[in-house]
Amino acid sequence: MLWHKAWLETRWRFIIALLILTMMAGSSVYGFIATQRLLPVLNANSGSATVEATGLGEAIREAIELQKTFRGFVWYQAIRQNLTQMGVFFAILLGCGGLLSESTKGSALFTLALPVTRKRLFGARAGTGLAQWFAIAMVAPLSIVLLAPSIGERFSIVDALAHGLCVFVGGAVFFSLASFLSTLFGDVWRPLLIAIGIACAIALASFAAPQLAIFSVMNGESYFRYGTLPWTGLLVSAVLAMALLYSAAETLERRDF
Amino acid sequence: MSDVIETAGLWKVYEDVEALQGLDLRVPQGSIFGFLGRNGAGKTTTIKVLLGMARPTRGEARVFGQSPFDAQSGVDIRRRVAFVSDEKDLYDYMTVGEIIAFTRSFYPRWRNDLEQQYLRKFELAPGRVIRGLSRGTRTKVALLLALCRGAELLMLDEPTSGLDPAMAEDVLQSLVAHVGREASTVFFSSHQLSEVEQIADHVAIIESGQTVVSGPLDELRAQYQRIELVFEGDAPDIRVHAPGKHRVRRKGRVLTVLTGPPKGGPSQVNAAGSSHATAVVEELRGYRPTSIDVTPVTLKDIFLESVKTEE
Repeated sequence: MLWHKAWLETRWRFIIALLILTMMAGSSVYGFIATQRLLPVLNANSGSATVEATGLGEAIREAIELQKTFRGFVWYQAIRQNLTQMGVFFAILLGCGGLLSESTKGSALFTLALPVTRKRLFGARAGTGLAQWFAIAMVAPLSIVLLAPSIGERFSIVDALAHGLCVFVGGAVFFSLASFLSTLFGDVWRPLLIAIGIACAIALASFAAPQLAIFSVMNGESYFRYGTLPWTGLLVSAVLAMALLYSAAETLERRDF
Repeated sequence: MSDVIETAGLWKVYEDVEALQGLDLRVPQGSIFGFLGRNGAGKTTTIKVLLGMARPTRGEARVFGQSPFDAQSGVDIRRRVAFVSDEKDLYDYMTVGEIIAFTRSFYPRWRNDLEQQYLRKFELAPGRVIRGLSRGTRTKVALLLALCRGAELLMLDEPTSGLDPAMAEDVLQSLVAHVGREASTVFFSSHQLSEVEQIADHVAIIESGQTVVSGPLDELRAQYQRIELVFEGDAPDIRVHAPGKHRVRRKGRVLTVLTGPPKGGPSQVNAAGSSHATAVVEELRGYRPTSIDVTPVTLKDIFLESVKTEE
């Protein structure tokens, strides 16, 4: 029943996140047709003197090159941008809340008086959130597999699952970060805003230190380019997520209500 | 009669606030125990410590002889205890039926017969969402959830706070009837002295996180007495030297003296009883009053005196 309670508490966030990310992934399929029409125009302008002078030429050329194929377009638009960037936000949103925020609503004492350990309470909440995040991470890429034939294209189910796994594991770090922050702050806003702030800081830092590029793990760039999953990145992310969840459970265990 | 709750020298310090300052408490099995104190005296903190929701800074606390701070024994304690918090805040997003089903799943000894009985008695509709219920109805839901658990100990924090007198009476009667039927122990905090006097057989009064009075209510009443002396003219301005004098008031021809256990003595009630009053009466006879009446006091008198004594 703790799982049911956690589901009732988070179901609207989950449904909204699932709908938005699936719609974004699905709609990107139809964006491919419009992009194909624009490519000749983009090709003609990508080598202009202004663009070359700003140093963006290479990046733009690569973006155009990637989007010439459906697989490249899906990775660039749906996985690398929509799913990774919006996914981080929704993973954080799903991780916010829990027992401490219940105390601001007043129902924490009812929950704490139940004959269960705090670790089990936390485990049910975290487990439900991670299951929801897994569903989102998988359903969104799989929607591309389903919709691609409607425009005469194909997106491999293996590719969808591989990218879904990367999005899930990378996003789990941000989910766990929000869960941990939610054991320190009783409201929903501070964990949400601090976690988003940290995500932005990591994104900026990854330009200078690519080894911090958790977003590269999340968008499955190595899988897209070379066909190999970023195993090291996935492992580090999973360990980091577990460490954050463990810290959250320990913090909650020691806390006075 | 064994004690279901025992605390010894219990301290709880929140940053710079000393909520409990060496609280000693014993709640006998089978009693209806009124836990009294002013706002901020430490009643809710004590309950939180007993349920493992807050850790004491130092001292001992045991419920059913077990520590609430060990994860496993804490779970065992909470399986045997039904708790209703002051705020009666439940899960807003659930219906009455859903929260009953949710709570039922944690208690193997859940009483379906009582569930049906209290649903009818409290006129609760299972389909109503908690969010839309009045405070009084929420209290009834919280009480139903507590009473149907098959708990050995009911721990209630201000069970009637915020209720109108009719509903408060309804709740109290339900409690008394339940305890009579199920032979459980009730430990309830309150600052509604009349309701404590109405249903409790044991009381403890705490002030600034310490127990100042504790024991069976009848014995407590016997310890304190009011002596009323009427004089022919204005009552004389006198000093009472006999031990056990607590308060002296003059009003016109009437002098009122409240007696009780000597100040600074043990907080646990003993059977010394009316000897304090007798000593004071003997001393006051010397002032030749026209009449002397010795009358029992109310819990309110004892409470006010106990709280004031500690100031």
